[in-house]
Amino acid sequence: MTEISYPSKTKFEPWRMWVVQGLLAVVFLVYGFRLFSLQVINGDEYIAKANENRISQISVPTQRGIIYDRNGYVLARNVASFNVVITPANLPGYVGEPNADGELVEIDAPVQEVYRRLSEMIDVPVSNGLITDETVRFFTPCQTDFGIAQIALIGDTNSPYSEIRVACNVDQKTAMVIKERAADWPGVGIEVVPIREYPTGSLTAEVIGFLGPISAVEEEYYRSLGFQPNRDKVGYAGIEAQLNDLLMGRNGVRVVERDAAGKIIRDLEPPVEPIPGNNVKLTIDTRLQAVARESLIYWMRTLNQKLYPHEPGRYSSGVVIAMNPKTGEILAMVSYPSYENNRMARLIPAYYYEQLTLDPQKPLLNHAISAEHPPGSVFKMAPAIGILNERVVTLDQEIYDPGHIFIEQRFAENEANAISREYVCWIYKNPPHVGHGYMNFYQGVANSCDVYFYKVGGGYEDEVPGYGLGIWRLGEYARALGYGELTGIELPGEQDGLIPDPNWKRRTQGENWSTGDTYIATMGQGYVLSTPLQMLVSIATLANDGKMMQPTIIREVLDSEGNVIKPFTPKLKRDITKEPVIQVYDENFLPTGEKKTVEPWVIQAAKDAMRLVVTEGTAKSVFEGFEIETAGKTGTAEYCDDVANEKGICDFGKWPAHAWYSGYAPYDDPEIAVVAFVYNGDEGSILAGPIVKDVIAAYFELKANDAAASPVEIP
Amino acid sequence: MRRDVWRNFDYWLFGTVVILILIGIAMIRSAIAGSPGLAGIEQDQAVFAVLGLIGLLVLAAIDYRYWSALTRVMYIAAVVALIGIYIVGEAVFGSSRWFNLGGISIQPSELAKIVMILVLADYFARSKDKEHDLAWIGKSLLLTMGVVVWILLQPNLSTSILLIVIWAAMLWISGLKIKYILTFGLVGTVLVLGSFQFWPEYQQERVFNFLTSGDEEDARYGETYNVEQALISIGSGGLTGQGYGQGTQIQLRFLKVRHTDFIFSVMAHEFGFVGTAVVILMLIFVVLRCFYIARTASDMFGALIAYGFGFLIFFQMSVNIGVNLRLLPVTGLTLPFISYGGSSLFSLLVGIGLVESVAAHRYSTD
Repeated sequence: MTEISYPSKTKFEPWRMWVVQGLLAVVFLVYGFRLFSLQVINGDEYIAKANENRISQISVPTQRGIIYDRNGYVLARNVASFNVVITPANLPGYVGEPNADGELVEIDAPVQEVYRRLSEMIDVPVSNGLITDETVRFFTPCQTDFGIAQIALIGDTNSPYSEIRVACNVDQKTAMVIKERAADWPGVGIEVVPIREYPTGSLTAEVIGFLGPISAVEEEYYRSLGFQPNRDKVGYAGIEAQLNDLLMGRNGVRVVERDAAGKIIRDLEPPVEPIPGNNVKLTIDTRLQAVARESLIYWMRTLNQKLYPHEPGRYSSGVVIAMNPKTGEILAMVSYPSYENNRMARLIPAYYYEQLTLDPQKPLLNHAISAEHPPGSVFKMAPAIGILNERVVTLDQEIYDPGHIFIEQRFAENEANAISREYVCWIYKNPPHVGHGYMNFYQGVANSCDVYFYKVGGGYEDEVPGYGLGIWRLGEYARALGYGELTGIELPGEQDGLIPDPNWKRRTQGENWSTGDTYIATMGQGYVLSTPLQMLVSIATLANDGKMMQPTIIREVLDSEGNVIKPFTPKLKRDITKEPVIQVYDENFLPTGEKKTVEPWVIQAAKDAMRLVVTEGTAKSVFEGFEIETAGKTGTAEYCDDVANEKGICDFGKWPAHAWYSGYAPYDDPEIAVVAFVYNGDEGSILAGPIVKDVIAAYFELKANDAAASPVEIP
Repeated sequence: MRRDVWRNFDYWLFGTVVILILIGIAMIRSAIAGSPGLAGIEQDQAVFAVLGLIGLLVLAAIDYRYWSALTRVMYIAAVVALIGIYIVGEAVFGSSRWFNLGGISIQPSELAKIVMILVLADYFARSKDKEHDLAWIGKSLLLTMGVVVWILLQPNLSTSILLIVIWAAMLWISGLKIKYILTFGLVGTVLVLGSFQFWPEYQQERVFNFLTSGDEEDARYGETYNVEQALISIGSGGLTGQGYGQGTQIQLRFLKVRHTDFIFSVMAHEFGFVGTAVVILMLIFVVLRCFYIARTASDMFGALIAYGFGFLIFFQMSVNIGVNLRLLPVTGLTLPFISYGGSSLFSLLVGIGLVESVAAHRYSTD
């Protein structure tokens, strides 16, 4: 017992006690104010933050629509791709609760065993790479050198209950084995993601296209539609791009509550189920597509070897399109060379894409609709109906072709210093250097007589007085047949070609129009440009008695269960024998505002003339003995583009030429119209004609086979 | 005598402490929901509470003056125990603070707080009438540092600071001259700033994180995550809270270390401003009650014991709540009576027992 005892209440100096209590008062006044500010004044802000912590929106991926050909053959579908994933929280030896300092208990031995055995199967090292702030920031699953342990650690830090990919696109067998072992390997799983597969690959790549990631530019738009830029893909080319909105469908949405580890606790709102994309049935017949492509490749290779054995690759790029002229359905559309769209299925390989973009033949481009070339003599069908409809000549009126003619190059009506220039018929270029002689309309078309068309197109002395058809009226008939305008086919990147006129030339070339320009334009060269599809439409319009059908590549749109939601109905774009589409010009070539139609007998004459091309004219040798009665028009279009200029083959008087042929069959009741184009392919009748012939033959063979297989379906 | 004891026993203080402990156990129960690893710890807390309350009553019955003679023994025992940690203590979470006795972890530093208050109370009571010169201060400092050094070495900075603060508080109340305060204040500031670079890295980081709070773009995985989540928990409690066991921040485990350091945030989240204010007022009541007992104690030794414990509770709760409110850098100090922690609760109740003894033995100087 101590002796220390104090009697009074003045043990502490009271002011010292007051200081302490004052300190207490100050501290808790500050705290009270802070607490009030946090909870009452700014409470809503923190409630929002707390909700942000726990509530997340999950986008449930939808299924992209399937693309079929007209017979139901699959051209694009979704297949499963397998990724090996790890859910760090479920790994053996993992303790989910942090200790008192907020650190997670470390992963230990049993998990190493899992890593080791998994590593043997998927060819990813157990441990590789150094975890630093830098390397973690640049970490991308599927494209990393990290070992399994590092990837699992990153996943564990970020979101332990979420799956993280350790190996991507493993084969199905490995995936199945790993799946079976999932019970012994907790935390290891298989993720199945849909990827696009194109069973026909490069055969239909130019039409179908391919998918790619949502670009930064479009990110906002697709986000607003509920798509996820890092996961969902969009069409980059072809039908995949054009019908993207139709094919894509809509993602589902779940609003869920998650705990701190990322584990989903419950749905906070009723989930919105994903809506699968629509399926699309194209008008393409894959079998005919294959024939068209094979035939194009075969004739290019064969004739190249035969005619130019020392110049391999001279014929290496071309287009074939087949269409039903009565419905506008595109049965085949080949642009060669194309590309392998299956190589873009998972991601677009940079080196492959670069290779494709740098290729001068532009394989990423669908040349059938995107390439503009001079159409050559096939274009003569436009002035052909023009001269008849405008009564420039009569059917039987004979025009003399001496092989070459000279006219004075006039840039203005009364130009004093007109230069005399020579205009040659193609036949005159070859021995024995003579002309076609006297030609009536049918012979002129059948033989593709250049001098005939010079004279009727631009006028010649007394034989065809005045300016003949003239460039203005030529343009009217060309446009009536579809040149110079977009066909409106449902494919991206279509070009509209060019029908020149004097105003255009002044505006773009700074030069007046000359008679010679009209001569050259009449034979589809010079400034005239056309896409292969435009040319096909022009010939198909004539074949279908002036009724231009809207070319289309979509036959039906189906919902995800296969019900037709948009059936096919052929669409008449215009009937040039009924609709007044031809502007009437006065004698000074000024539009009168009046419009007229193309008379039906004119169309008939053009058809008869195209029949004569096959039986007597420039395509006679190709189609001799062919059991199907066809009609058509050859074209050998001289050109001098950038590629030719670079090669130095634009020699004056003997420019390089593209080969064209467009034909249809049967000539009296056409079911199929085909165009073939070979870039730098020289003679149209030699190289393009046989391709069209092959496609027509194949069409009727397939038709006969189909009829034999299902006799009920004969209409 | 025995009747006297229970007549002067402070039932207000006792009652408030019991209620706070019950609130604490309830909060711990809510805080650990969804963490299987921590299931049942509220029962451990209840066991410690019962043991502590028994200890409280026993100590209250014993005249505190007996302890005066034992201070020297207790001081030596405390220092030995602290040194012993280096020999038999388990290394837990990077610092050795625990003794493991038959499944119960004992933190000698918690007991050191009681011992320190008793020792200093004894010292200042004995030297009350001596000259309050530098030697008087120096001796008390030496006494304090003899314990603090070992706690600092654990390393346990927050308890060390706590002990030094208690020393300063007791020095102050015992009549520290103003001129010394100014001198020490200056020297202390220079020392703290000068020694900052020699602090352990994690301590430096904590201070740094506090000073640069909000600069970190993504606090989710950084050091500031816990404090940020505490702030969200508190703020989203609003006026009346999200309800007991209903707080999303707690139940979905966004708030970490929620049963110990951040139990204040749990309360604020689930009971809101109203509930939190009530608890704070109860804690303040406990402190003021200790101060009241100090003022009415029959001798200086008892007065200093009551004052010392009152100040300990005041300081510990101020720091803990300050951390939760993001007004102070993160320390390891828990909220008295509420936070989970057997040793801490037990030693607090022992302390209250001593204060009750001071109260019970007022006016009985014979």
